Amino acid sequence: MTNPTPSQTVGPFFARELIWSDGGTVLFPGQGERITLKGRVVDGAGAPVVDALFETWQADASGKLPSGGEGDRPYGYGRVSTDADGGYAIETVVPGAFKSQGGETYAPQISVTIFARGLLKAVQTRVFLAPLEAIKDDPLARAIGDPERIRTLIATRDPANPRLYRWDVRLRGAGEAVFIEI
Amino acid sequence: MAGTRPADVHPPYLYPDYNSTRLRAPAQPLVRVAPSPLEAAGPAFPKAFVKESEADLTTWGTSAPLGEKMVLVGRVLDEGGRPVRRSLVEVWQANASGRYPHPVDNHDAPLDPNFLGKGQVLTDDEGRYRVVTVKPGAYPWQNHAFAWRPAHIHLSLFGNAYAQRLITQMFFPGDPLLAIDPIFQSVPEAGRRLLIADLDLEHGVEGVALGYRFDIVLRGPGATPMGV
Repeated sequence: MTNPTPSQTVGPFFARELIWSDGGTVLFPGQGERITLKGRVVDGAGAPVVDALFETWQADASGKLPSGGEGDRPYGYGRVSTDADGGYAIETVVPGAFKSQGGETYAPQISVTIFARGLLKAVQTRVFLAPLEAIKDDPLARAIGDPERIRTLIATRDPANPRLYRWDVRLRGAGEAVFIEI
Repeated sequence: MAGTRPADVHPPYLYPDYNSTRLRAPAQPLVRVAPSPLEAAGPAFPKAFVKESEADLTTWGTSAPLGEKMVLVGRVLDEGGRPVRRSLVEVWQANASGRYPHPVDNHDAPLDPNFLGKGQVLTDDEGRYRVVTVKPGAYPWQNHAFAWRPAHIHLSLFGNAYAQRLITQMFFPGDPLLAIDPIFQSVPEAGRRLLIADLDLEHGVEGVALGYRFDIVLRGPGATPMGV
């Protein structure tokens, strides 16, 4: 076994290099009600993280894992940078639940990777598009245990707009999101 | 599987000498979970995603960019030494003067109208990639007094699985600025050598460009119980 190449920060200067046009619109071969996942990334002082690279990877509305792509874009992948308010927005579908080969059920979720200046390695997590009571058997929810910490990973549906899910990510401090090592 | 993993060569989140980590590093320990079936798979970049011309950063303008022309070659492998095939490698960098064409880069060094500093390539069936560029310049930054980043090329890798996703930086051999760079120094000693390219003259172009080799190792099947 060889050691992996160490991670280094993405730094502040990637906006023109890594951002795809329409990277905030996630493509799938099938249908599904389009929704927007949006929120803010903030640091340990609650200040906006204005220069994060925010990437998402998810199953389609039926829970099928994406393969292939369309035109010059892969299915299932979103990529945006945060704005001057730390905000991001991903237009996509609510993913379906899916199962592992071992039979574990994964609740509707989007895998998220965040890179930024000041992050020497990316933070990774999973955001749930389902309420707490619906994800109790999910492998990550079980690994976390504490409902207060699980709540840091739940996107809440906007009562005034059912097509909008809100999820804020605090990198450090009170309300810090749960980050995972996979 | 913790016992079978190689030494952790990744930097910590919190490395106070690199000021920006102080408010951005998570304070809670990571929750370790097996990759989900989703994370054991990864995005498939259609061939059309990458144009052949994007592997040459020196032909973007109307004439050649300033600086020392170089060819960067390498292989992308997993921890078991297997090639990571047809995977996306993105590169970006400062120009030869140490300036990025980015609105927040206010370093008082000239932009080069013939250099954007951005390229991408898919690895071949042996995991190989090849990029033509110019050697980036060092540049000052605000981290501490007299702070200068050593010359570096940023690389972004997707591997063949989401769990392999990596962004890193490649440095040049013999650079005295490595000793004072907290971003490089944040890497545990066992990992630092892995971030430095080797001079590889034979992969350069005689009389035209210096060659450098930088191999990249991503997590592999042994790293996870899922067989990523």
